[in-house]
Amino acid sequence: MGKVLLETRGLSNHFGKICTADNLDLTIEERVLTSIIGPNGAGKSTLINLLTGYLPVQAGRIFFQGKEITRLPVHKRVRQGICRSFQIVNVFPQLSVSRNVMIPILALTGRSWRPFANIASEKDAHGEMEAILARVGLSAERDTLANALSHGDQRLLEVGVALAARPTLLFLDEPTAGMNPVERSRLLEDIRRLSREGRTTFVVVEHDMDVVFALSERIIVLHRGVVIGDGPPEEIRNDKTVKEVYLGEDVSDLFRYDEGDETK
Amino acid sequence: MKNKSLFAALILVFLAALVAMPHLSGRFTVYLAMRFMILGIFAVGYNLLLGQTGLLSFGHGAFYAAGAYGMGFFWLHLSPHPLLGIGAGVAAAAVLALLIGFFCVRHTEIYFAMLTLAFGMMVFSLIWNAREITGGDDGLVGIMRDPVTFFGLGKIPIGKDAQYYYLVLFFFVLSVWVAHRIRISPFGLVLSGIRENARRTEFAGVPVRNYRLAVFVLSGAFAGLAGALEAMLQSNARPFMAHWTHSADPVLVSLLGGLHSLTGPLAGSLLFVAMREIVQRFTENWMLWFGIVLLIIILGFRGGVVGVVQNLVLRRRAEGEG
Amino acid sequence: MQSIVHVCLAGLSAGMFIWLVASGLTLIFGVLGVLNFAHGSFYMLGAYFCFTVLRHLSANFWIGLLLGPLFVCAVGFIVERFFLRRVYHLALPYQLLLTFAFVLIFDNLVKIVWGAGSLSPPRLDIFGEAILIMGRKFPAYNLFIIAVGPLVAIGLWLMLERTWWGRIIRAASSDREMASALGVRVPILFTAVFVFGCWLGAIGGGLAAPYVGIMTPGMGDTIIIEAFIVAVIGGLGSLKGAFLGALIIGVLSAFGTRFFPTFDMFLIFILMAGVLLWRPQGLFGEAR
Repeated sequence: MGKVLLETRGLSNHFGKICTADNLDLTIEERVLTSIIGPNGAGKSTLINLLTGYLPVQAGRIFFQGKEITRLPVHKRVRQGICRSFQIVNVFPQLSVSRNVMIPILALTGRSWRPFANIASEKDAHGEMEAILARVGLSAERDTLANALSHGDQRLLEVGVALAARPTLLFLDEPTAGMNPVERSRLLEDIRRLSREGRTTFVVVEHDMDVVFALSERIIVLHRGVVIGDGPPEEIRNDKTVKEVYLGEDVSDLFRYDEGDETK
Repeated sequence: MKNKSLFAALILVFLAALVAMPHLSGRFTVYLAMRFMILGIFAVGYNLLLGQTGLLSFGHGAFYAAGAYGMGFFWLHLSPHPLLGIGAGVAAAAVLALLIGFFCVRHTEIYFAMLTLAFGMMVFSLIWNAREITGGDDGLVGIMRDPVTFFGLGKIPIGKDAQYYYLVLFFFVLSVWVAHRIRISPFGLVLSGIRENARRTEFAGVPVRNYRLAVFVLSGAFAGLAGALEAMLQSNARPFMAHWTHSADPVLVSLLGGLHSLTGPLAGSLLFVAMREIVQRFTENWMLWFGIVLLIIILGFRGGVVGVVQNLVLRRRAEGEG
Repeated sequence: MQSIVHVCLAGLSAGMFIWLVASGLTLIFGVLGVLNFAHGSFYMLGAYFCFTVLRHLSANFWIGLLLGPLFVCAVGFIVERFFLRRVYHLALPYQLLLTFAFVLIFDNLVKIVWGAGSLSPPRLDIFGEAILIMGRKFPAYNLFIIAVGPLVAIGLWLMLERTWWGRIIRAASSDREMASALGVRVPILFTAVFVFGCWLGAIGGGLAAPYVGIMTPGMGDTIIIEAFIVAVIGGLGSLKGAFLGALIIGVLSAFGTRFFPTFDMFLIFILMAGVLLWRPQGLFGEAR
């Protein structure tokens, strides 16, 4: 705990008059499961887009493991170790689950430039693919087409494809959106377990407060592109500014967190 | 699986028929078979771009023409050796595809289609206007088929159609095999990924633009091979090969046969050549009927002929099990 | 100096002529999102129908220009309502190929009905033969075209910006779902816009015959390429861009034909490639 994985300096972004990132100086620590929360329009997705290279940086700089990555294109950032999953399921619809996962694996092991190799004989890649499917619990669905999966399984696949890129830092953009409670707790368990394994640092963007407080070791609160809260869950729960920002929702319900929730 | 061995058997039968053809039928059928194979090479390579990677190019006629004219110039000015000539044609097409592709692959969807269309027509107008070099609308004429020699060790004559047929057959089988290998390779899988979700492929660490360029050049090389072979078949190269209406041929043929399989473009080519021959006996306006067939396919049978067959097989299997 | 003025005028008339054809194409793309390969065919049908009206109904040019395009509108209605409508939800290749199928069908139907050879449109004497400009004769009809172009542009602008009808079109083209949610009957709107676009193309065809002097079943295939280029240079979907693009192309290709005859078509493509490399979305297109 403590080693800085990602750092931004003065990161700013505007869409016309709307400020989605206002001079942000953020750090993400290695192996600390971090959540980013904030009301709608706070700039959470924009932040992920900026950090992963999907949106070009208007002002400011981004550093990853000490190296500057501000102008690096998406695929190069992925190779450096930064990856993401998407809020809306964004997989390869007409390909099977196993092929979905194989693509990042083959790409990152440098096997994808070979036009005369045969996928069937890529033993290492197959092994890694099976391992990932096991980690997200989709081994039984390996031959199912992605668009034939249930919504919950599609979200699991979404995380699986992101994990297949062997990320050091993985941004999950609302991973439990649209899931029923059973699916949700299953995914949360998976994320918690994977985070403990230590290979990947997870940063989760979420709306659902239950998820956030159940999962995180650190919470960053964004509002209109500004960080208004940053710390462990108990601290955020009691933060006055944060509570004010969430006014309009039933605050007491939002921040109720029983010890018993851990075991649900 | 029973289906796989049935399929393999069908392929062997088809191949055997192709090999035996010159001995079984007249000159005209042999000529038609060659036209089918050449179109098949064009379409199978093109489908790597369209069906596999999801890129619609309306300018591949330019590479076909580059293959034809490249081969023609080589024969006329450098050496009559057919294999070297074909090599020159393919190389010319690949280089042209690299140049044009470099500008086009940074755009997607409709701008990509329009740019390829424009570049294709640019090549056409270049060929048409540069009369002194290319012969203008007469094209290059007098390309002959000299015997194939291997380092002075024996000559294989290809002057007669029945003899040239085997050279075309050789390249046809080679092309289909290469296309097949690409389809089942990791490279091919990434191409499918780009078709299904280019953004996600980017996030899988793939430099998508480079892959698009690579498959563009590959499909251009196939087009060049087809063009070179036609130049030798017809003994001439014509500017029309680069016109956008000719560029539409592999698109139509792939759609007709089925975009998502290897055999689709081949089935489509066969149907196209057969249909053209049959319908042309009855009416001059065979393209009218082709347009109608195309309409029907787009509205109801987008999997093409192969798709229809696959559905029938699936349905029969389900009924058998049910 | 005299040559330059004449070349400019020739360029202007060529440009305005292309604008007439490209306007319909751009409108259809801007609202429906479909690039209509068959637009050249509607242009051709316009020319042929006008010709037929002039031959069999009335020798009056204006009546021909009025009635001819109406037949084309009927054809356009059938194409959109029963065919194109079914492929809006499909990927781009299918839409393009559907319109291409109609190119094949119409080109060949015209061959069957009117013959495969070229036809000469009846002689036009309304404007007189030619007008002396700076000592040299310039066809009067071409001056007419130079005048019609901006008229159509202004008319379209007025319609889109100042009428209720135009406002709905603009709304539907920028946000289809929203417009539908607000009560706009989008399918009917699409049909109407498509038919209107065909009408514009047909008018172009009707005006083309005396301008070009000859009609062939293939006349749509060549004009469509020029219209595409103009639309792409101007920015797909932008009428303003199409107008400007047409002007540039017209004038440039007139100078090209005059001073670099071998490369005139080539120049247009170079220009298009150049514009797209500098601004991938065209002059006035929306950045993607």
